Parts: sequence; structure tokens; C-alpha cells
Amino acid sequence: MKYKKVMAICLASAMTFSLAACGGAPAPAPAAEAAEETSEEATDEPAEEEAEEEATEEEEAADTEDAAVDNGEIPTYTQLDLSKYGDAEATIKFLHHKTDRAEDGTMDKMVAEFNKEFPNIKVEMEAVTDYAEDSLLRLSTGDWGDIMFIPAVDKVDLAEYFMPFDSLSELSKELNFVDNWEFDGKCYGIPYMANAQGVLYNKAVFEEAGIKDLPKTPTEFLDDLKLIKDNTDAIPLYTNYAAGWTMGAWDAYIGIVSNGDDTFMQQKFAHTADPFADPGDDTGIYNLYRILYDAVANGLIEDDYTTTDWESCKGMLNRGEIGTMVLGSWAYAQMQEAGDTPENVGYMPFPMTVGGTQYVSAGGDYNYAININSSDENKLASLIFVKWMVEKSDWCFNEGGYTVVKDGKNPEMYAAFDGCTVLSDQPAKAGEETLLNDINAESELSFNAGGNDKVQRIVEEAATGGDSLDDIYAEWTQKWNDAQEELGVSVDF
Amino acid sequence: MSPLTKTAGSKNNRTFPEWLRSRDGQKVLVMIAFLVVPLVLLMVFTYIPFAEMVKYSFYNMKYIGARKFVGFKNYAKVFQRKDCFGALKLSLYYMGGSVIQLSLALYLATILSFKVKGGSLFKGFMFFPFLINGIAIGFIFKFFYTRGFVFDTVLQWCGFQLDNLPYWLKDRSINNISLVGTSVWRYFGQNMVLFIGAIMSVDGELYEAAMLDGANRFQQFKYIIMPSIKTIFVLNVILSISGSLSAFEPPYVITDGANGTGTYFVVMHEIAHTQQKVGLASAMAVVLLLIIFLVTIFQKLFFKYVFKDGTE
Repeated sequence: MKYKKVMAICLASAMTFSLAACGGAPAPAPAAEAAEETSEEATDEPAEEEAEEEATEEEEAADTEDAAVDNGEIPTYTQLDLSKYGDAEATIKFLHHKTDRAEDGTMDKMVAEFNKEFPNIKVEMEAVTDYAEDSLLRLSTGDWGDIMFIPAVDKVDLAEYFMPFDSLSELSKELNFVDNWEFDGKCYGIPYMANAQGVLYNKAVFEEAGIKDLPKTPTEFLDDLKLIKDNTDAIPLYTNYAAGWTMGAWDAYIGIVSNGDDTFMQQKFAHTADPFADPGDDTGIYNLYRILYDAVANGLIEDDYTTTDWESCKGMLNRGEIGTMVLGSWAYAQMQEAGDTPENVGYMPFPMTVGGTQYVSAGGDYNYAININSSDENKLASLIFVKWMVEKSDWCFNEGGYTVVKDGKNPEMYAAFDGCTVLSDQPAKAGEETLLNDINAESELSFNAGGNDKVQRIVEEAATGGDSLDDIYAEWTQKWNDAQEELGVSVDF
Repeated sequence: MSPLTKTAGSKNNRTFPEWLRSRDGQKVLVMIAFLVVPLVLLMVFTYIPFAEMVKYSFYNMKYIGARKFVGFKNYAKVFQRKDCFGALKLSLYYMGGSVIQLSLALYLATILSFKVKGGSLFKGFMFFPFLINGIAIGFIFKFFYTRGFVFDTVLQWCGFQLDNLPYWLKDRSINNISLVGTSVWRYFGQNMVLFIGAIMSVDGELYEAAMLDGANRFQQFKYIIMPSIKTIFVLNVILSISGSLSAFEPPYVITDGANGTGTYFVVMHEIAHTQQKVGLASAMAVVLLLIIFLVTIFQKLFFKYVFKDGTE
């Protein structure tokens, strides 16, 4: 009984004291005060020590600032010699978007392979379905792990979130397409694979339709789609309208493919007064979307575009129920896996010829990046993992990607690209790194940045006989010019 | 035990710690102790984020990066842009749907609240859609409306020709109706169950008395059931109407807001997440909140007027 009473009193006093403290009441019992004081003293000292330690660390860091890239103890990507770090030890977390590869075990297999060489680095992986959006939210909370694929952030903010891999000049000697996430001469991202932008087609369907040579201009392409419609049962051009992002994929052909200019996308587009004008020679952005508009208007697409299903279209292309799909090369491997006739899946350059040459735009897919706020061991382990993934995992090759490592081997599928000029977009000029993003957001056209609805609208207007293509372009031009005005961008082209 | 003898007059002479130990003080303490948890949760997860959102609506900002204060510019844009208020017109479809939904629910609830064979079974079947996750319903109906799939097949059994059937999601004159259909299908069961609950509370003797007076079923419904369930009826109407103003799941999952089906919420989502104009999207949210307030107040007044006539 006595024991219970003591307990009750203790509890009651604890409660009242804590509450009194909340309400800012006058001093509680002296005993409690003393306890508080001692605890304060106890915590004060280590805090000061920590602060001192931090200060010395900062000094040390400042000393080595002259180096091109300052990662403290961690070597740069090009300096890192994988063979020397076999005993590195850490647990790192990798946030990625390849849910399909996580499910079919490819990711686990690669990590198992990695662990043969680096047994003490434990790699935890998290596959995120709605990666583009979720990763951005996770990034802003800071709680996401050590390695991620860079979502749509502004280049000026790169240094705040990610550790630089190396200077651009060094890294670009060894790897392709590393200038996507370059800022101030440092590279913050390395693509896990690169894509070449072309068109998926079914070889058997083309043969049955009587198409001998691959089309080289939009007009030829539309004629060929007509042939497919007349001579086969296949859907000539499958838009994948319902999925949305598959429509946004059309934006990837702006620039290099549409006018052969690798500085257009990042440097000129935002400064162009009328980027959607018809150049009159079957090239340009105008004729790029004209393919889509005319194909829809002439009934060369699927019957009910609003209920298309992305997963089932893969098998349909494989089996020859679909003639062509306009998607990046990353989709090729998935199309091959989706049915029994992988040999019929073909990939061709986009049907547009600028001044006698067909241009192919190639660029990095999602880029690996390492968390700037991770501990040094984790940064090092992450760097080892990224370097191993890029150079030794063969992931890029297996996905049908264009090689990221300089002079690496390219998959068979790019045979049709012989004779084409392969370019990748030049980075934006210094000081204009975020310009295209800003104009995209302000105009809400979002080229290559999730602006799916504007391409969907082309399909809608063409199908319902609403606005003409010229009307749509006039509206785009208006939005583009308004955005340029709003942001005070000079119009130079 | 604190002294009960103390009178109100002596309260002023007490110091604060003394007051805390008194009965009144303890009462307040206990009240605070019990309220603190729900209040903290409510503040942290509802009101603070909401206040933040209101703050965002005055900024030109992305999720990350610099923010710029722009005053009421975002609000001006909400009213200037065609897509924001154009999207609210779609709510008329959903409001129309909610009228059908409520009438259907009320009708079935009235029937099922009398003795019906297999009544519980019917109730179960009709309530079931409400238990399914909204995203799953979206996927179900995406295939349901696909050309030549479920819905078309069923209609073909009934003798329709496929060529005469419209494209349920492609045809802009009916695609919103198709989408509203999914939301009616989902929610009418829930409304019905609420109505049945309210109707159950009516004293059975009232029906007997009414029957003795010669009232038929319809008169019973009009003069006994309707007045007794008016609270729950008004509640359901208000929930349905504000629900139709903020319709999101069907258009987002089934059509992704394309082809003229983008409701206010879908447009807001697009602006906030694709275009990353967080300030503008927050302003849209605040404007929608005000609209919902207005509509709710209007409904309250309306029903006050209607039921005054009905009961007297």
C-alpha cells in the first residue's frame, strides 16, 4: 500500500511539474531545479567541444579548396581506383525508379555481383513508382539515403544537395553525356545509361506493308503509316495517349533531330521568337508535331486513344499489332521482352532529314548522384558503387542503352543508326542554367519536363476536328512569348 | 484533497501555485492534459500546414529554390486564367451526379428500411463499392469503358450494336458523364446506409398511426420519414456538393485529366506538381476553400427555407 502511495505521489508531482513548466509557472521545487542545472552543465561541455571540432574541420576543408573538386578525403571519380577499395565498409541506400528491374531481380543480381568485389558495402535499395514527383519531395526533406537519380531540380541548387563527382574536363575524358548536371565546371550526375532518340517499329509489319526503305522525312513517314493501314491489320502509329508521359516523349526530338543544332535546346530555344514556325522543308518543331496531328487526323492511330494501356502496348508491338511507336531507345528492351518475337522489334532514327543528314539526339537517362550530407564512409562507398555500376555492371548495355563509357560497346539495335550524326545537347550558357526550366514553367508548355497535356491536346484537336495545327502553334507561340516577356528574356533568334 | 471551504472571494488572494493545487486548478489541469494530445495533433497536421499553404499562396515559388513575395498576384491569376474557373464548370456534372446519387440512395433506403426479402444482402452489395480504394475503382473503370471491353460487351448482350455505341472516354460530350457515373456508383451505397440508419430511428408506431389515418406509402415518406431524417439529408447534400467541387480521383486515374475532363483539383495538381507553380496552386486551393464555404452557407440557408415549408 505504502509503495503504491509513493508511486502515486511521484506520478502526480511529475505531472504537475511538467505542466507547470509548460505554462511558464514560477520556479518549481528546488530539487528539480538542481537536476535541471546539472543536466544543462552536462550537455553544455560536449556541445562546445563539438563546435570547436567543426571549426577545425572547416579550416581544413578551406585549405584544400584549391583542388578542382573538394570532397574532403574522398577521391574524385576519375581518381578512384576500384581495385584499391575492396575492403571499404558501409551501408548505403540507393533510391531509384526502376521498379520493373527491382521486381524481376535485376537490381538484386547486380548488387550481388557488386558484393563479390566489395563484400563489406551493404546496398539497400528502394524503388519508387512515381519517381519524378516523389523523389523531389523526398529531396526537399533531406531524408532519402546516399545515392539517388537526380529529379528535376535547378542546376544552381545542385551543390546544396549533391556531392560533385569530378570536374567536367576530367570526367568527360572517360564518360559520355556527363554535362547534363554540370554546374560551375563540376559534374554532379552520371547517367546510368544513355538513350538515343528514334522510333520503335515492327520489322514484320513494315515488310508486310511493303515498306522497303526506312522513312527519312515526316512526309515519307506519314505515307508509310498509310501503307501500314492499307496493307496490314496493325495500328500504324500507337500514341499511348492515356499514359500521358508517352506523349511528352515527343518533345525529345526538338533541337538536334528537328534542326541538327545541338545548341538549340539549351541555348537558343528560350531566346527564339517563333520556334514553332514552319521552316518549309519538312523539318523543325512544326513538322515534328505535324506527324502526330496528321496521323491522328487521317485515322492512322489506335481507335480509342483514351483507353490505351502502356503495359499491353509492349506485347502488341512485339506481336506486330502495332506498326510504330515514338519512344526513346530505353523502351526497346522492354518491347523485346514482352513477347515471343523479339527479332521483329526494330529501332530506327527519327524520320527527319536536315540538309541531307539525319541527326540522332543521344543523352543521358536519369543520373546517379550522391548525397552531400552523407557521412564520409557512405560517400566513398557510394562513389565506389556508382563507378562500379557505370563501368562494370553492364546495366547500360543490357537495357539497350547507348554507351555511357567512352568507346564502350553498343547494342545491336543501333545498326540502323549508321550514317546518322549522333549529337547530344550542349549545356546552357553560364548564368542561364535555369532559363529553359523557368520559361518552361512560366509558359506551362514544359518541353521535356512533363508537358504531356500539350501533346495530348494535339491528338484531341486532330481527332475531334477542333483547332488546326496552326491554331495550336499560334497559342504556343503566344505562351512562349508571354513567358519571355514576363521573365525579361532577350529574344535573339 | 484541496480545501473546498475556500470561497470565490478568497481566490484573488491565492498565489498561482496555490490555485493550481485547488480543485478549480486541478480541473483546468486535467482538462488541459486531456486536450493537449488531440489539439497538438490537430495543430501540427492540419492548421499549421494549412497556414503554411496560405503563406505560400502569396509567393512565387517552387518546392525547392528561392521564393519571391508577390502579394495577391497569384490570386489575380486564378481569376484570370481560363483553365482554373473553366474547370469549375465540370463540377456541374458532378453536382448533377450527386443529385442522382442522393435520390437513388434515398429511394433505395426507403424501400430497404421496410421489410424486404434479402434486404441485408442488397444493402451489402450496394455498400460494397464504397469499401474499394478509389484508385482501384479508377483502374476498374478504365477497363470497363475501354472500347469493346466490359461495358460494351454487356450492352451488346442487350442488343446494342458496337458501331452505334459511343466511345465512353473519347467522346467529349459524354466522357464527363462516364466519369461521374463511377463516382455515383462508388458513393450512393454509403449515402444509402446513412439514410437507412436515420430512417431506422423513426418510431414504428408512427407508421401504424399514419396507416390508420389512411396515409399511403408516399404520404408516409413525405410526412414522417423526410422530416425525421432532414439533418442527415442536409449533411449528405452538403458533403456531396462540396465533394463535387473537389472531385479528383475518377478524372485523375481514369483519364489523367486529359480530353476535357480536368476538374479543378486535377488542374491544381498539374500546376503544383508538373509546372511546380506552388504559389499559384496554393492560391487555387484557398479560392476553392472560399467557394466551398460560400456554397455550404448558401445550402444551409436554402434548406432552412425549404424545410420550414415542408414541415409546417
